[in-house]
Amino acid sequence: MTLAPDAVTRPTQPRVTIPELIDEATVEAIAGEAWVALVGEDEVLVPLPGDLPAETVSAWVDVVGPWTGSVVLTTGRQTAADLTRALLGQAAPELLDHEDVADAFGEIANVVGGNVKAALPGPSTLGLPQVGEAPDVRNPEDVCRLEVLWRGQPLVVSVQGALPALPTPHQNPPHPNGASL
Amino acid sequence: MKILVADDSRVMRQIVIRTLRQAGYDDHDIVEAEDGRDAYDKVQAENPDLVLSDWNMPNMTGLECLQALRSAGSGVPFGFVTSEGSQEMRDKASAAGALFLIAKPFNEETFRENLDGVIA
Repeated sequence: MTLAPDAVTRPTQPRVTIPELIDEATVEAIAGEAWVALVGEDEVLVPLPGDLPAETVSAWVDVVGPWTGSVVLTTGRQTAADLTRALLGQAAPELLDHEDVADAFGEIANVVGGNVKAALPGPSTLGLPQVGEAPDVRNPEDVCRLEVLWRGQPLVVSVQGALPALPTPHQNPPHPNGASL
Repeated sequence: MKILVADDSRVMRQIVIRTLRQAGYDDHDIVEAEDGRDAYDKVQAENPDLVLSDWNMPNMTGLECLQALRSAGSGVPFGFVTSEGSQEMRDKASAAGALFLIAKPFNEETFRENLDGVIA
């Protein structure tokens, strides 16, 4: 059995990557709005890069649809605790436990992720928030990364694809005689 | 009046309750539920006058909870407070019998716009 010629020679179609769908300014607007509403009216995110400390924590939600990936927030552990206190306000306990931080930071990721999802082509589904070590970047071309400062402390919002880069045609050469099995 | 607030995030439940207070609805009994299944059970047990529910929750989503309540004959006023506010979700919410969908992030004005006339 032989395949039709176009099945052999047709180049691999590139997937749409996140920079084609959303830009940093949109992610910044979404995150800024979430901060004002959740963290506090006077809480601003300053779009400046900063060096993350050694001990970080990430919160993310997965988006599955025409574009599949994660919306990941990463910051220092102390900053995540400060965010939790700001969210809880007067309800914050004297001693925060890990569950409080996971809940609060996860919920911020959920709100930012939900609004990023709404800006992307659908239909798509949103996963439940997860907290821990950030998922790996699978394809450096499929990332929209925003670095901000909150109360002077660095925080990164990464909208990153879950799929590895597709092989480029030269990495997958056709059989020398043009046939394919 | 009794209001049931359903969200798997305790922090978000507190923010919803705080926003209700800031919007001027501060004289009501609040019942909390930690997922859709818990909300379904508490509607039966507590008979609230209004349900404010997250959409995306473990065990049973807010939409599944609403559909189960309607199937069981409950007509409790039900609104969503969720991190997704796409037209598709608003249509689904409306078709299932929800009164409104408030997208997170929200503020007290958003609450007032949606809840005036619903909360006595």
